[in-house]
Amino acid sequence: MNRRTLLGGLFAAASVPALAACSSGITSLDGGSGAGTGGGSSKSGITIGTANFTENQVLGYLYAAVLDAAGVKTTVRPNLGTREILIPAIKGGDIDLLPEYQGALLHYVDPKSKATEEGEMQNALAMALPAGLQVLPYGRAEDSDAFAVTRETAEKYGLASLADLKKQNGKLVMGAAPEVKTREVGVVGLKEVYGVEFKEFKSLDSSGPLVKGALKKGDVDVANLFTTDTDIQENQWVVLTDPENLIPGQHIVPLIADRRADSTVRKALAELGNVLTTADLTELNRQVDKDKKDPEDVANAYAEKKGLAA
Amino acid sequence: MYELFKNLGDWLVSGEQWSGSDGIGHRLAEHLQYSLLATLVAAAIALPLGLLIGHTGRGAFLAINLASFGRALPTVGLVVLVFLASGLSMWPVYVALVALAVPAIVTNTYAGMTAVDPDVKDAARGQGMRWHQVLFQVELPLALPLIMTGLRLALIQVVATATIAAYVSFGGLGRYVFDGLAQRDLVQVLGGAVLVAVVAVALDLALSALQRALFRHRPA
Repeated sequence: MNRRTLLGGLFAAASVPALAACSSGITSLDGGSGAGTGGGSSKSGITIGTANFTENQVLGYLYAAVLDAAGVKTTVRPNLGTREILIPAIKGGDIDLLPEYQGALLHYVDPKSKATEEGEMQNALAMALPAGLQVLPYGRAEDSDAFAVTRETAEKYGLASLADLKKQNGKLVMGAAPEVKTREVGVVGLKEVYGVEFKEFKSLDSSGPLVKGALKKGDVDVANLFTTDTDIQENQWVVLTDPENLIPGQHIVPLIADRRADSTVRKALAELGNVLTTADLTELNRQVDKDKKDPEDVANAYAEKKGLAA
Repeated sequence: MYELFKNLGDWLVSGEQWSGSDGIGHRLAEHLQYSLLATLVAAAIALPLGLLIGHTGRGAFLAINLASFGRALPTVGLVVLVFLASGLSMWPVYVALVALAVPAIVTNTYAGMTAVDPDVKDAARGQGMRWHQVLFQVELPLALPLIMTGLRLALIQVVATATIAAYVSFGGLGRYVFDGLAQRDLVQVLGGAVLVAVVAVALDLALSALQRALFRHRPA
C-alpha cells in the first residue's frame, strides 16, 4: 500500500477531472503557538477521515490519539477511499481533518505548480486550496518517491545518487508503475535533470510485489519505491539521493477545515509532527502490514511511548 | 460523451497510432502471438486428456473437478504467484493463460465424447474395430462439434485475458489499457478495450466459419 493510491483507484483515476484550484482561501501558516485563525473551534469534536491504505490509517489514529490527549473529542472514519472522495468530503463537512502529503496534495489542487521545496510547497498549497480548507505545519516524516537499487548494484556501478546513474547510461533497466514512464518524477525528469537514459523501462506496479520481486531477482536494476516501504530496510536496498531536488517533498501535512482549526488542534498536531520521523512511520507501517496489528493499537502505543498521549 | 467517442475514433484511425513498437499493428501482433500460442499449448494438454477420459470413462470425476478448480483460479493472482517464483519473463503470462484455457477444452471434449451414442460405439466394436479405431474413426468425428466449441470458448477467454501480459511489463493490446489507466488517458484505455473485443469477436467468427466449412455435411 502506498501514497500514490491516494491519487485514485484505477477507475476513479481514469475519469477524474482536475479539481479546479481556487485561491480565495489564503490562510495564515503560523503553527503551534498563539490563537488560530478565523475563529475555528474544535469544541464540538473533530471527525478524522483517512484514505484506503495502511499508512494513512495509522496517521489518522495518531491524530486521534494526540487530539484526545489534548481534550478534543475525535471520531475516526478509516478507509474512506481516494482523494477524489476525501477532498469533497472535507469540503462538504462530513470530515474535518485528513492526513495528507505535501507534494501529492499540491499536485491534486494545482497540477501546474512547479514547487518542490517544502516551504515553497506550503505557500503554494495555501494559495491553491479551496476556500474553507487549510494545511497546518508539515511534520518531519515524509513518504516520498524513491529510486532504489540493490546493495550489489550500488557497489558494482558505484551508485549513491541519481546523478551517478548517468555514468551507466544505456546499461540499466528501470522498473516502475506504467505512469512513471511519462511522469516528471520518473523517466522524463531523470533525463531532463540528471541526463539519465535507461536501457529499458519495465512497466510493473507501484512499489508492490512485482517491482520489488523484479528488483530482488535482478530483473530490474533501478526500482521506483516509497521511502516508508519496510522492504527497503529489510533487503538493505540503497535509496539514491536526489541532489537536484527532482523529487518533490512528501512531508506529512494535516489538511483541516477552517471551522475546526483552533489553537488546541494546531498545537497537538504540530507536536506530533515534530516527534514522528520517517523511520518511526516506516516501523508503524511494518507493525500493521507484517505483524498484522491493528492500526489503532499501533498508533495509540506509539503516542503513549513518546509521551504524546497520557 | 460525444467528444470521447470522436477522440476514440481519431485514436483508432490515426496513422502514427498504427506504426512503431507501441503502434497498434505491433501490439496486435504481440496479442495474437500470446493468445494463439497459449491456446495451442492448452489444446496440446487438454485434448488428449479429454479424449482419454471420454473414451475410457475413467478419471472423469477427478479431471472435471480439477478443471473447475482451474476455472476458479484468479488469473492475476496466478500471474503474481508465478512471477514471484520465476522472475520477469513470459512464464507467468503463459502459465496463467494456459491454466485459463485448459478447463474449457477438457470439459467440452469430455462432454462431446460422452454424448456419442453408446449403441454406435457398441456397433463399431462389434464390427471388430480396435480401440483406437473406435476413438479416431467413430467417437472423435462425432464429438468434433463440441470439441471445436471448447476451443473457440478457450480462445475467446484467452484473447480477452491476454491483456495481463502488460501487467508484468510485456506488450499486447493490454499495454494501452494499463498505460492509459496509469496515465489517466481514457481514450487510450477505451481504444485498447475496443480492439481486444474486436479481435475476440473476429477470431470467433473465423473459427466458426472454419467449423462450418469443415462439417458442412452434417448439422453442427
